[in-house]
Order: sequence, then C-alpha cells, then structure tokens
Amino acid sequence: MNETLNNIEVAMFYLMIIAYLLSTVMYWLTLVSKKVWLEHLATGITILGLAGNTVALIVRTIIAQRPPLSNGYEFILTFCWGIVAVYLFAEFRYKIKALGSFVMPLPFLLLTFIIMKMGPEERVASAIPPALKSQWLTFHVITAMLAYGAFAISFGLGVMYLLKSRSDDENGKSNAKGWISRFPASQILDELAYKIIGFAFPLLTLCIITGAIWANYAWGTYWSWDPKETWSLITWIIYAAYLHVRLMYGWKGKKAAWMEVFGFLAVLFTFFGVNYLLPGLHSYA
Amino acid sequence: MNDQSEGVMEKVWNIFSSMKTGVFLLGVVAVVSGIGTLIPQEALDPKGAQSVSAIWKTLGFTHLYATIWFRLVLGLLCVNLIVCSVQRFSGIYRKTFKPNPPQSSKAIPQKIQAKISGPESELRAAVMKVLTGKGYRLTTSEQEGRWSFIAQKRRWGNWGSLLTHLAFVVLILGALVGSMIGFKGYFMAGVGDTLPIKQIEVSKGNVNENFSMKINSAEDRKLANGERDNWYTDMSIIESGKEVARQTLSVNHPFTYQGVTFYQANFAQGGKFTVDLKGQKIPVVLQDQGGNYFQVPGTDLYLFLSAMKADPKAPVVLYQVYQGNSPIKMGQMSLGQADNIDNTFTLTFDGMAGYTGLQVKKDPGVNVVWLGCALLMLGLILSFYWRPHTLSGIIETKKESSLLLGAVRGRLAVGTQEEFNQAVTDVEGLITAGSAGS
Ligand code: HEM
Repeated sequence: MNETLNNIEVAMFYLMIIAYLLSTVMYWLTLVSKKVWLEHLATGITILGLAGNTVALIVRTIIAQRPPLSNGYEFILTFCWGIVAVYLFAEFRYKIKALGSFVMPLPFLLLTFIIMKMGPEERVASAIPPALKSQWLTFHVITAMLAYGAFAISFGLGVMYLLKSRSDDENGKSNAKGWISRFPASQILDELAYKIIGFAFPLLTLCIITGAIWANYAWGTYWSWDPKETWSLITWIIYAAYLHVRLMYGWKGKKAAWMEVFGFLAVLFTFFGVNYLLPGLHSYA
Repeated sequence: MNDQSEGVMEKVWNIFSSMKTGVFLLGVVAVVSGIGTLIPQEALDPKGAQSVSAIWKTLGFTHLYATIWFRLVLGLLCVNLIVCSVQRFSGIYRKTFKPNPPQSSKAIPQKIQAKISGPESELRAAVMKVLTGKGYRLTTSEQEGRWSFIAQKRRWGNWGSLLTHLAFVVLILGALVGSMIGFKGYFMAGVGDTLPIKQIEVSKGNVNENFSMKINSAEDRKLANGERDNWYTDMSIIESGKEVARQTLSVNHPFTYQGVTFYQANFAQGGKFTVDLKGQKIPVVLQDQGGNYFQVPGTDLYLFLSAMKADPKAPVVLYQVYQGNSPIKMGQMSLGQADNIDNTFTLTFDGMAGYTGLQVKKDPGVNVVWLGCALLMLGLILSFYWRPHTLSGIIETKKESSLLLGAVRGRLAVGTQEEFNQAVTDVEGLITAGSAGS
C-alpha cells in the first residue's frame, strides 16, 4: 500500500513540476499574443498543478501519519502550494492575468531546486523527533505558507510595477507600448501590492508568534536568536519599514516596488540562505 | 534658562515622537540582528565564539543580543513608541468617538468627491438610508441653511496602529522582565533520585525556591513501528518531605509548579545498582557513558558506568572504579550479577533505569510576552483586516439643492473610490426612483 502511495506521490511531483513549467510558458505567451484561449489554458494548467500539489501533500500526510511539514522537501511543497493558491485567488479576484508570468516561475524554480539539490534521503517521509510533534508547528507552517505565498505575489506585482512605470509620464499616464501596455495601471499594481502585504504581514507576525509558542513548549525558550528566527525577524522589520515609509515619505510607486522585491528576497534568504549559507541551529527546516 | 530647557525638551520630544526616528531604530535592530547571525554567538555556539578575536569579544560582538547597546536601542524604540502613541491618542480618540460633521463644503474631502442634485429632504433620507444600510454610523449637524453629516464604518480600525505599537512595548517589557528576574537551569537524574531544586546546574539567574524533585520513572517509549514516540518522565514535587504535586511530562508537554516549569529535554539510559558496604545497602543509579559518578561513602573510590547494552531482556554493563584520579578496576556484569571491589564493597547490577534530562525555567515575563503577542495580533487585525471608511457630506440650501459628498481616501485609494462610487450610485438610484414616483 505504501508502495502505491509512494508512486502516486512521485507522479504528482512530476505532474506539478511539468504543470508549473507549462503554465509559466503559457503565461509568457499570453504577454505577446492576445488569444483568450491561451489565457484560459494557462489558468487551467495552473489549477491542474495546484491539484497535483494538493494530492502530493495529502498522500505525504497519509504516508507519514502527520502533517507534511517536517523537512525541507515538505516545506518546499507547502511553500509552492501557498504561492499558487494565493496567486489563483489574486487572479480570480483582481483579474490580472499578466501576473502569472512573474509568479509562476517561482514554484517551478523551487521544485527544480528539489531535483537539483536534494537527494532521495532528504525527501523521504522520515520519523520526526518528539520536539516536532506539536499542534503549534502546524499553525506555524500554515501561516508561513500563506504569508510567504502572498509575499511572492507582491514580488510579482513589484516587478510588474517597475516594468510598467518606466513608460509613465509625469502625470502617471502610461505611454507603454506592446505587451506592457496590457498591464493594469501602475497605481493599481502599487495599491494591490500594498493590500497583499497588508494581508500577509499579520500572518507573518502570527507565524513568528506560533513559532515562539512552540519553542517555549518544546525547549522552554520562546526566542533564542537562532539564525532562522533572527532572519524571520529581519524580514518582518523590512515589511514593517515598507508599511511605514509608505506613510511617512509617501513611498509609493518605484521605491515601494523595490522594497516589495527586496522583502521577498529576504523571505527566500530566511527560507534557503539560512540553511545553506549560514551556520545554524534550526536544523529541522 | 527655563525657556532654553523647554526648547531642549521640545526637541527631544520631537525626536522621539517622530516616525523617522522609529524607522531608523527598527533599521538598527535589523542590521545588528543580521550581524549577529554572521558572528558566532556564545549562547548558540560557544566554541565558535571562543575563536573570535579578543577585541570583538570585548566589544560584545559574541553576545550581541545581550549587550547593553542592543538593549538600549530596544529601550529607545519603546520610548519612541510610547511618545508617539501619547501624541496620537487624542487625535485618534476624537476621530473615532467625536467625529465632526463638516462646517462648510471646503471641509469635504476633495480627491474623492461627487455632487448629487435633488430635493433636500429626499437627499437627506436617501443618503441616510443608503449609508446606514451599508453599516455606517452617522453623526449629523443641522444649522440655519445647512445640513451635514459624517459617516464612519469599522471605526475601531482607527486604533489598529496605536494598539500594535503599545503591544510591541508590552512584548519588549515582558522579555526584559524575564531576562532580569527568573532563572534557567538543567538537571539530569535517574529513576528514584530526589534532588533539591537549589542543586540544579543554573545557567542564568538565582533559584530561591525550596522544594525537591523526585523522579518516579523515566521512559523512552517507542511506537509499534519502532519509531520513537516520546520521552516520558513521571516526577513529584516534594516539599518538607511531603509530595505536593505529581505529573508525567514529555517533550512538548511541560509541567509547571509554582511558576517553575520543567521541560523534557534529554534522555539517557542508565543502570540501577546496589552498593553493599559492609552490610549497608545503598541504591545507586548511574548514567550511561559516565554521565555521573557515585562516591562510595568514607572512601576515595568513585564508580562510573562507562557503557551499557540496553537490551531490556538481557542488559549488560561495563563499569569502572577510580581511586582518586587513577582507574583501578573495570568489569562487565549482566543482570543480577555481583562483583567484589577492592575488598571494600560489593556491587550488584539490578537492571536498567531511565535517566532523564530536564530543563528548568522560571520566567515571570513570559505571560507578559504572550499578552503583548495577543495585543499585537489584535492591533494588526484592526489595521489591515478592519480598515475604517469615512464619508462626509453637506447640503447647503442657501446655494443650491444638492448634496456634496466626499470620502477620506485612506491607504487604499482605488478601493475607497470603488466603495464611494457604489454609495453614490445607490443614493442617486433612490433619488431618481423617488422623483419618478412623485
Ligand atoms: C515595532 C515595530 C512597529 C510595528 C510592528 C509597527 C506597526 C505599524 C502598523 C501596522 C501601522 C499601520 C500601517 C498601515 O496602516 O499601513 C503603523 C503605522 C504607524 N506607525 Fe508603526 N510600527 C512599529 C514601529 C513604529 C515606530 C518606532 C514608530 C515611531 C514613532 C511608528 C510610528 C507609526 C506611525 C506614526 C504610524 C502612522 C499611523 C497612521 O498614520 O495611521 N511605528 N505602524
């Protein structure tokens, strides 16, 4: 039975990676061609990829008899799920198809990272130490998934803003030609990115808090300044600064867009850089 | 001179009430925290911190987060947040609870504005109906030739950022309290041991409590599939010889007694022995791998358990005896076997015994920290998921019979405009419907 489940999981993994690659390509094609069916196809393939992603996570839960939130491989699958789910929500809610061109490469690259960097022994559903058996860990990872997913979307919007605003005149009127002209107005991109960060910031805060509660149950210390914790705090401060400079200097537009890009780079560093570049304690993730 | 000091006070106040200072201080916290992840810190990596050159150590770079400088920055941030909140309080209070209807058409927000014509009484009725229907609460003002209102929805959202800021101060204070009073320690004990809390190995603070801990059992429990379930310790608290509390704890399930919390942190195998010293039988629990020792009373003989095979059915132990610093005997025993040692005592191996490692902590600040976290979440939810909307409008009958309506733009101009347009359309709908009917 486990054999079958394992095979399903592997199949779903490849379904996901192919779907995310194809949808990226489709979204790119919709930038140059106005065919409506292409847009529908891109969305359809994205939904298929998300379905595969969901099944992979469910199967992993059945195999491991616990939430799939306990090693780097499982975190990346969850991270991808968060990005694509928040993306699809944004696409349906705000009807910005071009956004897919800038967001969908992210889950594809994350999965490619698994193939290139993680051996089979890092991917198996292994036993977890008692410290990881906690309800709080589940909350911790779910909030991280949604917050990080949303930050990925604000990254995509930031990139779109930077492309679009290059052809704005002083009055904010766009003179863009070609594919960029079909992006929404830069003010809409800017405000949507802010709105999405406003959605994600409380979740990131909750993620850090639930992590602290869990650490306190497990080790009796809610904050130990380990590099992963510290970098999540730095990410949190970057986004807090973003919210403040928006009000203080009216940093909207370009400067805000750059902060959306940098903020997400900090997210990625917290996720990967800390494990691969810094010596650290947070050895579970 | 008084004037001068007032001038200085004012300058200091201005610096501390400024958001620029706040963002700057937050930036400093971020940069310093980042540096701390690049240099080995004593608390996390004592060996690495040793190898850092002396000058950096003296400057505090190997214990950055505990330096007075870092705490000073956090302290300044708190002062900043408090000053800023004091300054903003009355404004937010007035905005939320004492909203002022506009006194003239100039006071209507201009960026989002619309004008609706119609008979005065109908306009009034329509705008009140539409806005209350949408969940706004209206404050109206009526004067000679002028009717105006201000309408608010989700007004508690105004308090979001203030609450967030104060919550952060509460959080920092809680952390500070915890780091100044309270203690943190660790002990390992075998089944049957009783240990006064004053004797644990303390890494921070002082222990003032007077009870003892007795380990009733310690177990490394496995699941049916061979994976580890958890480590369990059944322990009692003994106060003046009496058991006053008893509980089983495991990883992630700590046990708290009088503000002191015990966390399952470690587990080791150990062996139970009996030392027979000229008829006096002393039970001894030793930890595997020489984790502890037993000094035979009245001698300079020390007993260690250097290795064991933890097979529950047929355990085997390897013990070692030292006289002072020199090893004098080493032997292997299986269950129930006895050895005579140095003609001084006999040692019997009675079986395996769990050896449990518990982290002990008293942190009176931790509940303050959780309170801060709860307020922080509440503040953020109000800020971002409960955004207020404010509309205002005026009818000046002296000029013409029309309603001038405007919306405060807030953080989301596009969204506010949409909400505003909807309200305008609804009011216009009522007016034309009313006019068509009459
Ligand atoms: C600990 C870090 C801080 C956090 C988490 C935080 C959080 C927030 C949040 C969530 C908002 C609302 C932003 C929005 O609606 O877009 C806000 C606004 C604001 N913050 Fe902070 N803040 C922090 C530090 C500071 C500091 C140090 C100051 C300096 C005095 C400050 C001054 C302000 C001001 C003046 C506003 C504007 C409120 C308004 O215009 O409605 N904040 N803050």
